Amino acid sequence: MADFAAEIYQNEFLPDGGTDVHAIVSVTCTGAGAAGAAEGDEAAEIIIVDTSGSMAGDKIVAAQRAAAVAVDQILDGTWFAVIAGTDGADRAFPYPNAVSPMVRMEPGARAAARQAVSRLVAGGGTAIGSWLRLATQLFQTVPQATQRHAILLTDGKNQSETDEALQAGIRQAKGVFQCDCRGVGADWDVSELRGVATALLGTVDLIPDTASMEQAFADLMQQAMGRGVADAQLRVWAPQGAQVLFVRQVSPQVEDLSARRTDLNPLTGAYPTGAWGDETRDYHVAVRLASKPLGSEQLAARVMVAVRDEVKSQALVKALWSADDTLTTRINPAVAHYTGQAELAEVIQEGLAAKAAGDEATATTKLGRAVQLAEATGNDEATSRLRKVVDIDDPATGTVRLKRGVDKLDEMALDTSSTKTTRVKK
Amino acid sequence: MSEAPQTAPTQPDAQPDVQPEAAPDVQPAAAPPDAAQLESPVELDTAVPPVEALVDCPVCGTATAAGEAFCESCGADLGRGTPLAEDAPDPEAAPIELTARSAPAGPARAPGVLVVVPDLDGRAATCASCGGTVAADGYCEQCGTPAPRPRDHFVEQPAPWMGAVCDRGRRHARNEDAMAVAARAEPGSWAAVVVCDGVSSAPESDVASLAASRAARDVLSAPESVPPITADELLTRAAAAANDAATRVAVGVKGPNPPSCTFVAALVESGRAVVAWIGDSRAYWFPDGGTPVQVSTDDSWAAEAMAHGLSREEAEKLPQAHAITRWLGADSPEGPPRTVTVDVSAPGWLLVCSDGLWNYCSAPEDLGALLTATQARVGAEPVALAEALTTWANEQGGHDNITTALVRCG
Repeated sequence: MADFAAEIYQNEFLPDGGTDVHAIVSVTCTGAGAAGAAEGDEAAEIIIVDTSGSMAGDKIVAAQRAAAVAVDQILDGTWFAVIAGTDGADRAFPYPNAVSPMVRMEPGARAAARQAVSRLVAGGGTAIGSWLRLATQLFQTVPQATQRHAILLTDGKNQSETDEALQAGIRQAKGVFQCDCRGVGADWDVSELRGVATALLGTVDLIPDTASMEQAFADLMQQAMGRGVADAQLRVWAPQGAQVLFVRQVSPQVEDLSARRTDLNPLTGAYPTGAWGDETRDYHVAVRLASKPLGSEQLAARVMVAVRDEVKSQALVKALWSADDTLTTRINPAVAHYTGQAELAEVIQEGLAAKAAGDEATATTKLGRAVQLAEATGNDEATSRLRKVVDIDDPATGTVRLKRGVDKLDEMALDTSSTKTTRVKK
Repeated sequence: MSEAPQTAPTQPDAQPDVQPEAAPDVQPAAAPPDAAQLESPVELDTAVPPVEALVDCPVCGTATAAGEAFCESCGADLGRGTPLAEDAPDPEAAPIELTARSAPAGPARAPGVLVVVPDLDGRAATCASCGGTVAADGYCEQCGTPAPRPRDHFVEQPAPWMGAVCDRGRRHARNEDAMAVAARAEPGSWAAVVVCDGVSSAPESDVASLAASRAARDVLSAPESVPPITADELLTRAAAAANDAATRVAVGVKGPNPPSCTFVAALVESGRAVVAWIGDSRAYWFPDGGTPVQVSTDDSWAAEAMAHGLSREEAEKLPQAHAITRWLGADSPEGPPRTVTVDVSAPGWLLVCSDGLWNYCSAPEDLGALLTATQARVGAEPVALAEALTTWANEQGGHDNITTALVRCG
């Protein structure tokens, strides 16, 4: 039985007239168990492999091997299928003539699936929306599976359908399954795939070369199989008259959850967070209150973690109005750290977008700020990735020059990893 | 606010301008007839319930329930403060139950002595701000206002001729003031009032002050001792019991400053009041139409400066004016309380209070004028008057916890 614990890091003191309360909520899950292992839980996995013409050669061979490794990681009893994606989508396993659209993993099915993926052939276009639509249809045939997850691999842009078709595919899939997206090589569009991953509560990352594919797939599937909590919900209560400014996951990745809110009641919003393994995720919650007289105390938010409508943990965000400047001017280190990390992700993405658009002045300013923030928040990984894109004159002031002849893969690596944060030192 | 205790020489000889008398014997007289019918001393362990009354919101006209500080419909401030602050005590709440229950296993009391022991633990179930339900976490489910803690504002009125109010004030997070009173039913016959002000720089001082004041009250209201002792001796014993109680709170409390509090107690009997104190909580005597008197003299830097010739105004502006030179607690200086006897046979009010009140109105003539003006406004019911004085102190800023205990004499 999984346990959740929520802890609050905040400065609860507000100055006279102060209205905005910021808190970091650290949520830790323990005892999650394996996917589908809990009583009443079943899991389903779909591997979606891009088999467009551009995958021909080494890439399709590597993709076959990677898919086989992923199949190996799927636990017995898990419903699964493999989709081959081109300008349409085909079910590669179970074979198109099979009666059941998804099957439960067992040694025979594993061997058959391995054989099926070894026969994947490259040819045709790329229409990711149609892949998502087929995956949605397949998952809907196993409603008993409460935990539904897909891995999507592509090497190119969504060229064979309109963006509207892709967005429609994403909308259909939303809430049906979670999807981690991986791009191989330098020809895919980071922001396009990020759009898919973000909407489907997954991650996006770069697989720089074919040699890394097997490992990447093994890691992804292992992680998915280690998530024994099918779906946890973050719930944020704010008092009457208050406004939730934002709810943002800040660790391990930055992800704004604000738009995912559904109202449970007039004062409480629910934010889906997908499946959980044994892990810690941090959230930044900001609430705007009506100011109260000095000496007043008010609860600014109740932050709850709920699984299947049962509240597993609750933490309280408080506000206390004080005339004592030494209390009210203090910024909580966790809030400061993650505020910096969130801005870091934003300026990296904006800087790279400006650079791609030929606006070098904006790109230099934004990436300079990114260098400054990475330095200030101790995000060495971000600093070393930034170094491949800019020459740093002074990290403290963020003085940088854009590098010439930057490797496209280095830019993409900086982009995909921009949302990865370092945890605050406690 | 009682600031961190400062070790300094005390002035045991400093006396207020009331006539010190030889210690009179103020052993409680025979109980009045109605109270004497009680088989045993009785304690009520309930807070006074608010009056049930409907008032229309002055802004939107919606009917509001008594006890709500804000209109549930439009949120307008109904000007009631916390529910217990402004509501008159239910006249039927205290005495009626007296005959109905026997005393729980508590301290023994002299026959006829009435005591109300409010339950100060826990929190209210209904939000004082919006009337919403209070969640298990102690905050309103609707507006997030912390549920009032009974410890933050409580009233004791064992007999109608006296009334005592203890309030958190506006600026402090906790109410570190405490009080405990006892009385016989017949007006003017016998009463004991204890006020303790917890030192805010020491932890758990709210626990220490409550334990100390109740321990002292229990000594003062105990059955007559044989052989009889003088009021001074009884008050000295009460102070020692209070000191023991405060010291026991220190067990297990870490930090350089053990829990500490001030002490002032008044024993009123048949036209005479004996006042004992340690620290800067005070007793005043306000005879109707007569000259107001500050009965106690603070154990504080300001008082010592005044003894050395500074005016009250100058002394109370000293940076350390509020630092007390004597207190109760594990690290308290040795010695009995100072005591003074005052004639209270003329009609008037005996006031026992903490600095949360007198800070805003220190001189006896100023405080007397405030009392007279307040009585003209709200009447002479002791709890209503004590509440009004407490509200006044809150309106001046409520910088400290406020305790106001009034005994109608004469």
